[in-house]
Amino acid sequence: MGIVIAVISGKGGVGKTTATANLGLGIAMNDKSCMVVDFDIGQRNLDMILGLENRVVYDMVQVMDGEATVKQARIRSKVNENLSFLAASQSKDKTVLRSAKVEKLIKELKSKYDYVLLDSPAGIESGFEHTIEFADAAIIVVNPEVSSIRDADRAIGILDSKSQKVKNGEEVAKYLIINRISAEMVQNGEMLRSEDILEILSIKLVGKIPEDRGVIDASNQGKPIILDKNSIAGQAYTRISARLCGKKVEMKNIEISDSSLFKRIKGIFR
Amino acid sequence: MQSKQYSVKVFETTIKDEKQFMAFFDANYALFKDHLILITGDLSDEVRTYLHNKPLTFLNNVLFPVGRSRKALEEEMQAKEVEYAVNIQIAETEIAQLSRRLQNNLTVLDEMVRSGQDLSIKGDLLLLNRVNSGAVIHTTGNLIITQIVEGAIRCDGNFLMIGISSTASVIFHGVEVENSLLGNKLNRIELKNSEIIITPVIQKEINWAS
Repeated sequence: MGIVIAVISGKGGVGKTTATANLGLGIAMNDKSCMVVDFDIGQRNLDMILGLENRVVYDMVQVMDGEATVKQARIRSKVNENLSFLAASQSKDKTVLRSAKVEKLIKELKSKYDYVLLDSPAGIESGFEHTIEFADAAIIVVNPEVSSIRDADRAIGILDSKSQKVKNGEEVAKYLIINRISAEMVQNGEMLRSEDILEILSIKLVGKIPEDRGVIDASNQGKPIILDKNSIAGQAYTRISARLCGKKVEMKNIEISDSSLFKRIKGIFR
Repeated sequence: MQSKQYSVKVFETTIKDEKQFMAFFDANYALFKDHLILITGDLSDEVRTYLHNKPLTFLNNVLFPVGRSRKALEEEMQAKEVEYAVNIQIAETEIAQLSRRLQNNLTVLDEMVRSGQDLSIKGDLLLLNRVNSGAVIHTTGNLIITQIVEGAIRCDGNFLMIGISSTASVIFHGVEVENSLLGNKLNRIELKNSEIIITPVIQKEINWAS
């Protein structure tokens, strides 16, 4: 029996899909079978970021409607065979989702994979609600800016009231990823500090990802940044994936940039 | 100055028939000799001399401060008693109302109020957690929030105790409270004689290091 994790954010464009792709691959690299499902129906992007665009035959809506089986529709990653992918339907919209069908699909995936990652659509509409409804845990992706924090706060509020687990009297585990942290801006006091974000949202932090120019290029090429061992964002995703797989990895303080550290040392010897 | 105070019995009458008048006093002299005779209307010299010779003390056409009759006094007492009882009743209901406003269905909550949540509380609320930006809290009674408030507060109670951030919006009895007035860590906002009074409860912490 696997664990179902919904990746949510509230606000769009904070890096949900990128995070889902990288974490999915990262979990697969930790020798766990992982299924990533794109729930952003009508605006599917995950296939492009994973570089599996040309291999989509069936989508998850067809699986839910019984037109295809999971085995037919799932796409195995070229990079790591532990990673499978189920694409969203590009032609339909979010209203095609029905609770009973979503539950059936998620139950089936849960029985076959160790980890099931659901890439939630932005916003808090029905598509989002269906994504979180049957999830065991949620990863909340935020950027260190006020609008992202407020939307995430709203999304957590809905998660805490609409989730099936909460309705059964249990608690949904919530983990925070702070994405696109610029060390320089934090140093200059131009960006929200992680402590403030954690105080506002009051959920567990699972990792921080620094701003990295390589992410966009990696997404465009369909090669998730986690494959690039030299990139700082890729390293951050590797650490978070290991944490999700139950390994103890120290938190790295990415808010102190190397340059400022260098300047400090220089300052001592001056 | 020395003075004395008397109560005097007064016999008040009008003369219609002088003979009948004199005959009446001849017959009842013993009864009226200690009375002050007050005669309203005309008084002839004949009657005047008669009264002098009697002798009877008399006054003509004088307005006395008229005392109230026993019945009137009793009525007045009764009215006062009723008024007193009514006043007591009013005071009691006022106290009851006040005490109901002071602590009225107290709700104690220890959960974060997140963006988009709209808490509407009938009565008092004690909130032990933070209120995030985009959340709304409305209470008909008093409100105390121990953690920082970033959302919107609507309070119609007697008092409100909060510490806010710059993004908060506080409306107390329909009046928007300027955020700069609530700069302290914990502020008390209360309604006294239809005036809103703001007093700091915990002063702002001073960071000496910076």
